[in-house]
Amino acid sequence: MATPVIMPKFGMAQEEGTVIRWLKQEGDRVEKGDVLLEVMTDKVDMEVEAQASGILQGIRVGPGETVPVTTVLAYILEPGEALPQDAAPTQAESQAEPQAAAATEATEVSAVKASPVARRMAAEQGIDLARLTGSGPGGRVTKEDVLAAVQAAQASPPPGRVRATPAARRLAREAGISLDGIPGSGPRGRIQAADVERRLAAQVPAPAPAQEPVPGPVGATTALPDQAAPLTGMRRTIARRLTQSWQTIPHVTFTASVDMRQAEALRQRLAPDVEAAGGRFTPTVLLALAVARLLPRHPRLNAWLQPQGDELLLTQHSRVNLGVAVALDEGLIVPVIHGAEELGLAALARRIGDLSQRARSGDLQPQEVMDGTFTISNLGMFPVDHFTALINPPQVAILAVGRAQMQPVWDGEGFQPAPVLRLTLSADHRAVDGAVAAAFLADLKAALEDPARLLL
Amino acid sequence: MSRELTYAQAIREAIALAMERDERVFLFGEDVGIYGGAFGVTDGLLDRFGPERVRDTPISEAVLAGVATGAAMTGMRPILEIQFMDFITLSMEQLVLQAAKLRFMLGGKVNIPFVLRTPAGAGTGAAAQHSESLENWFVHVPGIKVVMPSTPADAKGLLLGAIEDPNPVIFVEHKLLYRTKGPVPEGYTPIPLSQTEVKREGGDLTVVATSLMVARALEAAETLAQEGIQLEVVDPRTLKPLDEQPIIDSVKKTGRVLIVHEACKTGGYGGELAAIIAGSEAFDYLDAPIRRLAGLDMPVPYNRELERRMVPQVEDIVDAARKLVREGI
Repeated sequence: MATPVIMPKFGMAQEEGTVIRWLKQEGDRVEKGDVLLEVMTDKVDMEVEAQASGILQGIRVGPGETVPVTTVLAYILEPGEALPQDAAPTQAESQAEPQAAAATEATEVSAVKASPVARRMAAEQGIDLARLTGSGPGGRVTKEDVLAAVQAAQASPPPGRVRATPAARRLAREAGISLDGIPGSGPRGRIQAADVERRLAAQVPAPAPAQEPVPGPVGATTALPDQAAPLTGMRRTIARRLTQSWQTIPHVTFTASVDMRQAEALRQRLAPDVEAAGGRFTPTVLLALAVARLLPRHPRLNAWLQPQGDELLLTQHSRVNLGVAVALDEGLIVPVIHGAEELGLAALARRIGDLSQRARSGDLQPQEVMDGTFTISNLGMFPVDHFTALINPPQVAILAVGRAQMQPVWDGEGFQPAPVLRLTLSADHRAVDGAVAAAFLADLKAALEDPARLLL
Repeated sequence: MSRELTYAQAIREAIALAMERDERVFLFGEDVGIYGGAFGVTDGLLDRFGPERVRDTPISEAVLAGVATGAAMTGMRPILEIQFMDFITLSMEQLVLQAAKLRFMLGGKVNIPFVLRTPAGAGTGAAAQHSESLENWFVHVPGIKVVMPSTPADAKGLLLGAIEDPNPVIFVEHKLLYRTKGPVPEGYTPIPLSQTEVKREGGDLTVVATSLMVARALEAAETLAQEGIQLEVVDPRTLKPLDEQPIIDSVKKTGRVLIVHEACKTGGYGGELAAIIAGSEAFDYLDAPIRRLAGLDMPVPYNRELERRMVPQVEDIVDAARKLVREGI
């Protein structure tokens, strides 16, 4: 079956893309996963991979041409297969022989066997008969086959045409998430506000608790002029999740101080190389790297604790899906680096940079904030010495990172000035005991104070 | 202090209070004097105020509207009763081309402060020529205000407000409301025009209803409350100029809206309301399509069962509201 190569949609706001160049040519044999071409959006250059193995045919959008997303750029055909009927190539005349041959074969494809009523309905509904499998005698496409195709098309709207109410769209916009992939509970799968709220409730993490406003002086009883307003959108979800975390999880916290001299030296030494590889080697990246490397040795902290009936189910994860909190104007979102334990330094830096940037521009895909197994919240860029974060259920631990402060450190002979970081681990005491948490913090401290240990 | 009055009594009280207070106010129309009005609304006013100020007229709606316009221009405060809203069709030239436009065309040198009271609506078995709801014809004409009270208290207060207003006001009463009772404040208590009122608060669905449909929406709200669905019933009271903000605020709160009026759906006031809501800041709060429940696009049938089916009933509102809240359609 012919597999179309389409102009992909990389971001929610993307409407069109431009072909930079084709890396495979007309008639080339391609394998699934091969890079076929490079395209450019207003934000970024991307590679388009083959979704199937076969012969690349019918290239219809050339370098420098800009087309809407989902536009078919070419087809991948099985050996001997003809181009689909609608693949009338725009560059047919100027193309080499294989293209002309394909066009000739295409006319034969129009001789698909179909009943007259099926043919009429397919024409009316814009269904390509060649893509249907006929269930009638001799593989003839019947009315039922066309109806089934129409229903399938309606059930799964084309990309970019998500059915959602205005309220649902507003909530998603405010929370900076995409509507793609959110199951809709409304008529014909329409996404309702409640569906978005459910999704947000399943993913919004627990940042450090906000300070209570300081009460005014005793005796100041005059009414204040300010209006109260209900929390909405992302803020409301955060409020609900934090309350749930605070009220149901017995938090226990552990703080360790880390001498960051070697880690900081390493970071500065490798920063140019990481930058050359397309990432930024920030302190957060270093912490993420250390945590991702160490967590597989501490599976009790890389875990979920979930109530099921009267039971509490503990899942210890072998993979590290590391959440890194990103502050937005309207709240906080935690993009997740899936399989972080396998990523090298440069890849991790690129991934964190990309996710943070898209978190701020509201271009995260829903799956990019889901299924985290451990979270890091870093406020080191602010004058915060240390803080305690609330656990993001069903996770069982979260690491709160304060700023590095210059302090005297005893090296056995004298005091040396050193940037000292304070790490605070909050753990769910139902799943984690002090010794487990202490062992992890000890490993983390050792790795940061002597980063060569990360090679172990 | 308030006591229970019928809608008809409340209107009569408002007319009497205005006539006592302002000698420029007078009442005229077909059968408003000796007969006391086709629905008894003006009963007793002739005895009380005399034939100079309570005048029976010939059957000539075009002339009556012209008299109201002319008397208002010369400084009087006429109250005209058109016996059935259907016959306002005969007054259209005077109302639309004269009363609505003269202040504008004369550069503001005259005011046209009259009130045209008229009973509208189906439900009395009076057939297609005595059952119309034509309010939206006037909503479309700049220079005319349109008021539709839904309770005895609103009928009294809004009629006093309409008499005080310096513009032509079409004051649309509903035949089936005349005998309904409700608390009405004593004394001279005008309600300014263009103040939308929330008649019942609820969080699940906004029902914007007019006239008789307000009462039906409130009844539907009682029924649905037992199922755990809370309707917020909003009554514009003055259709033009409309006080939009309370409606927008309500839709922002509930995320869903059902508009109910008795007049035919096509070209009805519901379309205007829907467009106002969709174009407002409430758009981003809508969690379901804006729905309208209105009279069928047909003349009002004489057959009582067909007549009933033509106009939204309590059960229709219950069904439509439940569907919007539970299924989002």
